[in-house]
Amino acid sequence: MQVYNEMYRNQEVRAEYHAIKEWLDRHGPEALLERSSEAEEMFRRIGITFAVYVEGGDPDRLIPFDMIPRVFNAQEWNIVESGSIQRAKALNAFISDVYGAGEILKAGIVPEGLIKNNPAYLKQMEGYAPPRDIWSHIIGVDIVRTGEEEFFVLEDNCRTPSGVSYVLQNREVMSRMFPQLFMGGRVRAVDGYGDHLAAAMNAVAPANCRGKPVLALLTPGQFNSAYYEHFYLADLMGIDLVEGADLFVENDVVYMRTTGGPERVDVLYRRIDDDFIDPQVFNPDSMLGVPGIIGAMKAGNVTLVNAPGAGVVDDKAVYTYVPDMIRFYLGEEPVIKNVPTYRCDTADQYAYVLDNLAELVVKEVHGSGGYGMLVGPTSTKEEIESFRKKLEASPANYIAQPTLSLSTSPVLTAQGLAPRHVDLRPFVLSGEGTVMIPSGLTRVALQEGSLVVNSSQGGGVKDTWVLNEGWL
Amino acid sequence: MLSRVAEGLFWMSRYVERMENIARLLDLGRRMDALPTRENAPLSEWTSVVIASGCSESFPHDLKTEANMATVADHLIRDEGNPSSIAACIHATRANAKAMRIALSSEVWEAVNQTSSELRQQLQMNRDQENLTAFLDWVRGRAAIIRGTISGTLLRDQGYGFIELGKWFERADATARLLDVKYHVLLPSVTDVGGGLDYLQWTQILRAANSTRSFRHIYRRSVDPEGVIDLLVLNSKSPRSLLMAIRNIYHELSMIALPEDPKQQVVLAKIRGRYTQLMDLTVDEIFSIGLHEWLTDFIVSTNLYASETADVFGFGAPATQSQDQNSQ
Repeated sequence: MQVYNEMYRNQEVRAEYHAIKEWLDRHGPEALLERSSEAEEMFRRIGITFAVYVEGGDPDRLIPFDMIPRVFNAQEWNIVESGSIQRAKALNAFISDVYGAGEILKAGIVPEGLIKNNPAYLKQMEGYAPPRDIWSHIIGVDIVRTGEEEFFVLEDNCRTPSGVSYVLQNREVMSRMFPQLFMGGRVRAVDGYGDHLAAAMNAVAPANCRGKPVLALLTPGQFNSAYYEHFYLADLMGIDLVEGADLFVENDVVYMRTTGGPERVDVLYRRIDDDFIDPQVFNPDSMLGVPGIIGAMKAGNVTLVNAPGAGVVDDKAVYTYVPDMIRFYLGEEPVIKNVPTYRCDTADQYAYVLDNLAELVVKEVHGSGGYGMLVGPTSTKEEIESFRKKLEASPANYIAQPTLSLSTSPVLTAQGLAPRHVDLRPFVLSGEGTVMIPSGLTRVALQEGSLVVNSSQGGGVKDTWVLNEGWL
Repeated sequence: MLSRVAEGLFWMSRYVERMENIARLLDLGRRMDALPTRENAPLSEWTSVVIASGCSESFPHDLKTEANMATVADHLIRDEGNPSSIAACIHATRANAKAMRIALSSEVWEAVNQTSSELRQQLQMNRDQENLTAFLDWVRGRAAIIRGTISGTLLRDQGYGFIELGKWFERADATARLLDVKYHVLLPSVTDVGGGLDYLQWTQILRAANSTRSFRHIYRRSVDPEGVIDLLVLNSKSPRSLLMAIRNIYHELSMIALPEDPKQQVVLAKIRGRYTQLMDLTVDEIFSIGLHEWLTDFIVSTNLYASETADVFGFGAPATQSQDQNSQ
């Protein structure tokens, strides 16, 4: 299988990577390895960690950081950016539609049963109309590349996508360690994410908000794997980082408990899952959420970012209809295609999947984090057969995709540079407009040949550069 | 500010102060251990160290017969089951700092985080067992660095006020307990005793309070009980005196208490009362009440002020710990 290595064009190092290549030639990979431990020290000191829930796991594990940046030129980025923004608009239109009039279901474009029977579809949210009709204010679009201008969307994350703090911190560390590589403004800056996010939150202040909206970020607390990011984003915006117990609802209004008494909250960026957010409406055992907050939201007294129920489009079976959504709501053709996907709830497609397990990637429709999936070509016969049993037990729970030859990017190993597979998660912000910072989270599989890039499965991250127009 | 954040800052600061005070107490024990023992002394030095640290309940051995350098140092340094051990204090400091990072500068966080990772190395290398003094110096050094980053980098806002409150409440408690050591080691009545050993023991208490030099500066005479009590209780210049602690508690509280909040004003008035009372007090009056009795009353009432302060700023109830939740 032909694998596209992003650093090369016809065996030549691409001009986009010349500055990095020159640095490497001058200093040698040993110098980079040395810097690499310096960078790790920097990350550990700032405390950027990602907890993984396995027995005996280090609660403050660092995500491995690879020092070779991944570079996009302006033209390539244009594809990524316009494609992601287009998708975000269509996804928000779709969520509004399915909790409202249901036009796309009536038109028979998306099967009603797939939505209404979906565990991520929240009946309690029917009829709710969030400010500006935005349900998912922050969307992470997972994109893979197979050729120079060949991109595919792998999945959408409309629930509560995480990872943006790494984008900003990776850049911070890189620019401290290699200031000369950033000279002259060739790499577009990533500053401003905090301003964009705060602006988006201000733009969706609830109907009954008077004056300047009070913003806050709701975290499950310091034991959550993404706690660092919660802290980081709240700090970036200069807003309070609250836990469920800091908030209470009285007469459908949300307040924080402060040393000066109760203070009203208008817009809440919540990093707690739907199921836990309000024990009165969802999981009654939740200790993390805020009883009554959904009532306050429906009364127009608080806006939740992202709105509960937005996760219905994260489902991998619903994903297959996103190109149709783009045509239906925007009247456009998708800029970035979906990966061709076989739905195992459809007889002929299921039969094909069963016959070709060894060549396919099979995923659970509700799964995330790289758990519960089969990568046919890199699995043993036993693994494939045991997965077949799970698949046969509930076919509708799975989709399958051809194994894409994901592009590779060079990483630093003890033996020098080596190619490893990468993907990209840019973050789209929706408020008054729909915007993106010129970068995203590049995740990299650190095992040779591996296609699994999730940090919970041992993947690493890289700094992602977008070159200014004129710098190729 | 959020009540939970105020609480976290308050306790983070108390634990930093406590780890240093425990180190000072252990140093005191080591110094007193080197002195000749008085035959009719009711308790050994190490027993008194455990009592002064407030750990007699958690001490896992017989307090009267089995308290020695090894058992006491282990309980006050390593024992995670003892919430006042140095290891537990450092962990609690880090846990509070991590949860309250939004209210801290990166310098404070890095100082705390570094302390926690160095502690692990220190204990792995058995530094506390092989060179106790060096280990205790390290603890005091780390406490000084954390305090330095706090005073050098934090905004002087409400959060800073709660950090200061935590420090002074803890120090008031620790100094009072330190003075009470004398009661447990020697006879209940301070004035009954005298002579060379008595002098040496009072000197060690001054040392533990880092106040030997101050004593010479202020009183220009050799160490005596009246002087030590005047310095550590009533002196208005000593950073470790009870008067200084109460004055700072009053000052910090008056900065953050809201004029329109009657409950906060009531607590402020009570502490103001205590402060003026201390200003008028003399060493003779303390002796006539009995040093131990007076100190016991001081410790109890100061702790009461601390919990009333927590109540009126909305963090009186026991803190709720967030449960683990794995979200995408």
